[in-house]
Amino acid sequence: MFQFARFAATRAVMALITLMIVSLVVFSLMELVPGDCAERYLAYKNTQGSAITLADIEAERVRLGLDRPFLTRWASWLSGAFRGEFGDSCILRVNIAQLLGDKFWISLWICLGSLILAYAIAIPVGIISAASRNALLNNSLRIVSYLGLAMPNFLLALMIMLVSTVYFGETLTGLFSPEYKDAPWSWDKFVDLLSHAWLPIFILGWSATAFALQTVRALMSDEIGKLYVTAAEARGIHGVRLLWRYPARHSLGPIVNSLGFDLNRIFNELPIVALILTLTEAGSLLLESLARSNDQQLAGAIIFLLTASIVTLNFLTDMLLAVIDPRVRKSILR
Amino acid sequence: MTTATNQKAKEAYFTASQGQLIWARFKKQKAAMIAACVLLALILSGMFAPFLSPYDPTVAGRDKDYLNGAPQIPKFCDENGCSMRPFLYTVTRERSLATNFRWVEKINKDERRYMQFFVKGDDYKLFGFIPGNIHLFGMDEGYVHLFGTDSAGKDIFSRTLHAIWTSLQVGTMGVVISFVLALVIGGISGYYGGWLDSVIQMVTDAIRTVPAIPLFMAIAAFIPPEWSAETRFFFISMILGLIGWPTLARRVRTHLLTERNQEYVLAARLCGASPSHIIRRHLLPSFTSYIIVDLVISFPYMVLSETALSFIGLGLKDPVNSLGVMLQNVTKADVLLNYQWYFIPVIFFIALVMAFVFVGDGLRDAADPYSETRK
Repeated sequence: MFQFARFAATRAVMALITLMIVSLVVFSLMELVPGDCAERYLAYKNTQGSAITLADIEAERVRLGLDRPFLTRWASWLSGAFRGEFGDSCILRVNIAQLLGDKFWISLWICLGSLILAYAIAIPVGIISAASRNALLNNSLRIVSYLGLAMPNFLLALMIMLVSTVYFGETLTGLFSPEYKDAPWSWDKFVDLLSHAWLPIFILGWSATAFALQTVRALMSDEIGKLYVTAAEARGIHGVRLLWRYPARHSLGPIVNSLGFDLNRIFNELPIVALILTLTEAGSLLLESLARSNDQQLAGAIIFLLTASIVTLNFLTDMLLAVIDPRVRKSILR
Repeated sequence: MTTATNQKAKEAYFTASQGQLIWARFKKQKAAMIAACVLLALILSGMFAPFLSPYDPTVAGRDKDYLNGAPQIPKFCDENGCSMRPFLYTVTRERSLATNFRWVEKINKDERRYMQFFVKGDDYKLFGFIPGNIHLFGMDEGYVHLFGTDSAGKDIFSRTLHAIWTSLQVGTMGVVISFVLALVIGGISGYYGGWLDSVIQMVTDAIRTVPAIPLFMAIAAFIPPEWSAETRFFFISMILGLIGWPTLARRVRTHLLTERNQEYVLAARLCGASPSHIIRRHLLPSFTSYIIVDLVISFPYMVLSETALSFIGLGLKDPVNSLGVMLQNVTKADVLLNYQWYFIPVIFFIALVMAFVFVGDGLRDAADPYSETRK
């Protein structure tokens, strides 16, 4: 038990270090974007008619603490980020925590939903595809799964929207019905969210399936030829039972391990889908802040929250793997 | 007699090189072979795009009398009889007060225009340096647009062929850059192991954690607007490569970690071989096939990233024809409802990605030496 605690502690420290490296990358990117908050504020004033000088900008920089060295600013930003305080957005002049609200959590749950959907398809199809000799079944399953990758997300979203609008007279955009938009969280609001969120989850999940399927298939193909499988078969185990209890168990380990990165991959696709379905969530907000308004504070906050979720998920899957996989457990408790 | 042929077949099997064995196994997979043919056809049509396409894909080759025109399919027969040479009718388009300012087409069935082969047309440079002006097909008068035209009157067929080539180029450059990085970083990490490995893995994981699209967007935002389309193009491929390496690096490392404890590596080390010699001559060849497979598999993802980037408007832009740029054009409701032929490039895009994925799967199975004993 003590060793397990030590293992967990090492992993937690490593996760924190990873998070810090990433936050440094994110923070540097934010800094690299031309223009800073002081210039933004004063540029706004300038549009209101008051003349500004270079000295004004310098004074504003001192007021906002932008004259401090890079690393100091990074440290203060990071310590704020860990407390969930990201400061104000210079463009929208609103506190970021307030601006984001539940949006980030909604995005995260959409991504997690897609992740679950992707593996719910990829694991059985991958196992069948690696083990089956039925070429027709195998190929058609693979074509359907890979089509999700090959069909551009935005196109799929557009087509589904078009069909639903033209033939069913129902627009599938947005995440909430108007009456729930500003209502506090309740069961009804949650159900309403689900009735809208299935579309992005479906689209993102389908496109994530291809990568998951390739991984499952590759790992299964590696395991399935090994001697222990033949041995189990010789003992009279066959069919689904054989596949599930022997090679599948081995090959699913690495997949559990990379779930965090899969989440990252799905989140990458979210903004585009969100843009088309006009979802009010963090993905579209990120795209907006990066591509249009150049809102560094907002973008930085969203990316930080996302990376924190990925690192947390990686940490959790590491722990989970240590608990369920006897080989990993042994190597820790040695 | 049969034993003799058997013997020969066996001998051929045992003396075959790794490449020959992989090819023999690959040939047996029908799905992968079909995909390989499609892929080859797409690559060739991209490569010879200037020759195969009737017109210049840029504004230079526009047909200003046929904007947003529907596809024209050449015919062999009509009620006036048949001809050996495919033909089109003369179309006059009119927009005036009488037609309520809409384009109205009038097809003149008595005036045929015939298709010609190996005609002289717009100048081009094949592979970027061989000048030419012969095109596979064209019309004796007027234009032919197999896939219709876009809002500027550019021929969508020509654009699609050129776009395939551009996207393949971006993908290749991205894959090569990420491949070299992955090989060096993964190689060092896997061969030396220990603390160096831990540090490199932590950095790799950190890079994998940063979401790629925001990273792309942040970097792409730095591209000065005055850069030419070509510079932009190289920059985008470089970004794709610089961000894509970690997955491959991890695979290289894992493989090296298991291989470096094998006897043959120990033997080489005892003979006094240097680390770089061992990595190059012994370890890398042990998994070349896996690397090739990984490259093929990661290729469609590069193409997809380019499309996504171009779609947001941060990747390649209009004078360059890439599949991403073509896909960007189909997102308008106007196009969805009225100009469905804009979707034709999408079919090529889907075919390209699917072909790559299936070839990748097929190669993977073929490179796996155990796949034969199983079936």
